[in-house]
Amino acid sequence: MTTTSAAYVRDRCVTGIHGLDEILRGGIPYGSTVLAAGSCGCGKTTLGVEFLVRGAENGEACAHFTATEPSVKLLENIRQFEFFDMRMIDKGLINVFDMDVLYSWLGLTKSTFDLGDIHALIKAITDIVNTIGVTRLVIDSVTTLCYKIQSDQLIRDFLFTLGKRLSTLGCTTLLISEITSDKTRLNMWSSFGVEEAISDGIIVMGDVERMGHLLRYLQVVKMRGTQHSRAKYSVELTPIGVMLTPMLKWGAGHM
Amino acid sequence: MIEMDQKIAEQLSEVSLNSAIQVRCGTSNSFTVAASIIHPLITVFEMGGVYISASRAANEVIEGLEGIGISTEKIQFLDMVSSGIHGGTDTEYENVAYIDSPIMLESALLRTMYFMRTTTQERNFVFLDSVNALAIYNEERMLAEYLHTFVNTFRQRDVLSIILNVPDQTPPGVLANLDLYCSDLIDRGQIVIN
Repeated sequence: MTTTSAAYVRDRCVTGIHGLDEILRGGIPYGSTVLAAGSCGCGKTTLGVEFLVRGAENGEACAHFTATEPSVKLLENIRQFEFFDMRMIDKGLINVFDMDVLYSWLGLTKSTFDLGDIHALIKAITDIVNTIGVTRLVIDSVTTLCYKIQSDQLIRDFLFTLGKRLSTLGCTTLLISEITSDKTRLNMWSSFGVEEAISDGIIVMGDVERMGHLLRYLQVVKMRGTQHSRAKYSVELTPIGVMLTPMLKWGAGHM
Repeated sequence: MIEMDQKIAEQLSEVSLNSAIQVRCGTSNSFTVAASIIHPLITVFEMGGVYISASRAANEVIEGLEGIGISTEKIQFLDMVSSGIHGGTDTEYENVAYIDSPIMLESALLRTMYFMRTTTQERNFVFLDSVNALAIYNEERMLAEYLHTFVNTFRQRDVLSIILNVPDQTPPGVLANLDLYCSDLIDRGQIVIN
């Protein structure tokens, strides 16, 4: 007698972003903390917002913590995209929080955070996630946030604890990280060097220079729990969202 | 007034939506050939589509087609030329989008896919004008790779692809690959203009 057992497949958070779910072979494993790292202007914020919009379209509660620009400015910039609907904010499907406001609520007025401050911040974020029932979260950017944390050890502790708690709550998280194009050339995917080790996945975004023009690309470098493509994909930011197609091999920027 | 090539319309009636047609023309008859293809696609087959203009500015193509009575309402133009010209992107036409440079081949592909996703037309074509214009800026291997991707992308989506080229201005490697990828050929490359 023979027995057959079906291969175990992890449940996925379907991003809904054109082409990305195919790259990830179905989506991001639920509860993962994913670093979306990239240089300026490569589409990280748009990717993050679209990730939330696609979740909101399915009735998921989503949250966006903005540290790099005020939420008003973020929303003004993002309203130009057809895929974004302000009613998602009004209905409470997408909840936008200013990190500066959150710091004030918590009394974190110092220029740098110590261990106690970090744990207060983690508690505040996870309380919000838990109260609203957030299943998709974006922190834009974790780099700005980590500038307030003085040591690599504390940054590691902050991200590890935050990721673990969010995962326990079933929340799939995108941590937007700012890196310079020099770092991507050296295969470094984060500003402080510790974010990439803590994350379950790394999506790198950047520019390939071709005859004086910058072409946006996206590459999934790591995603625990899934057999994903590691190729470079060309990115176009269209009114209906991010669109991806494999970058031409002869034009992908050879080292 | 130019005289349309009626045989092209007859040939088009024999192709299916997932066909890829290589259109060979000469330097002097490229507009007549392009118009002779676009006209039946719009009027007889009631299709919509995307016209990728790499040879000349989209405004010029629109004016040329409208001038001979071909409506361009159902065509979205992707202009790969005008961004390289100061003030070139000023247009009165709403159905023109611009791509920064003819080297941004993937952008042309993604923009076309974007229009295909948003159009209400059931049957669509994508008209690439032209391979030899793209060959000015793009290296032979990359262009061959692009055309391979281009044909397969639209074939898979049941979008009729039409690829215009002037053979004697197209790199041999690209030409050989076009012969391989394309399912049909419209050859008007040997016309002698009297």
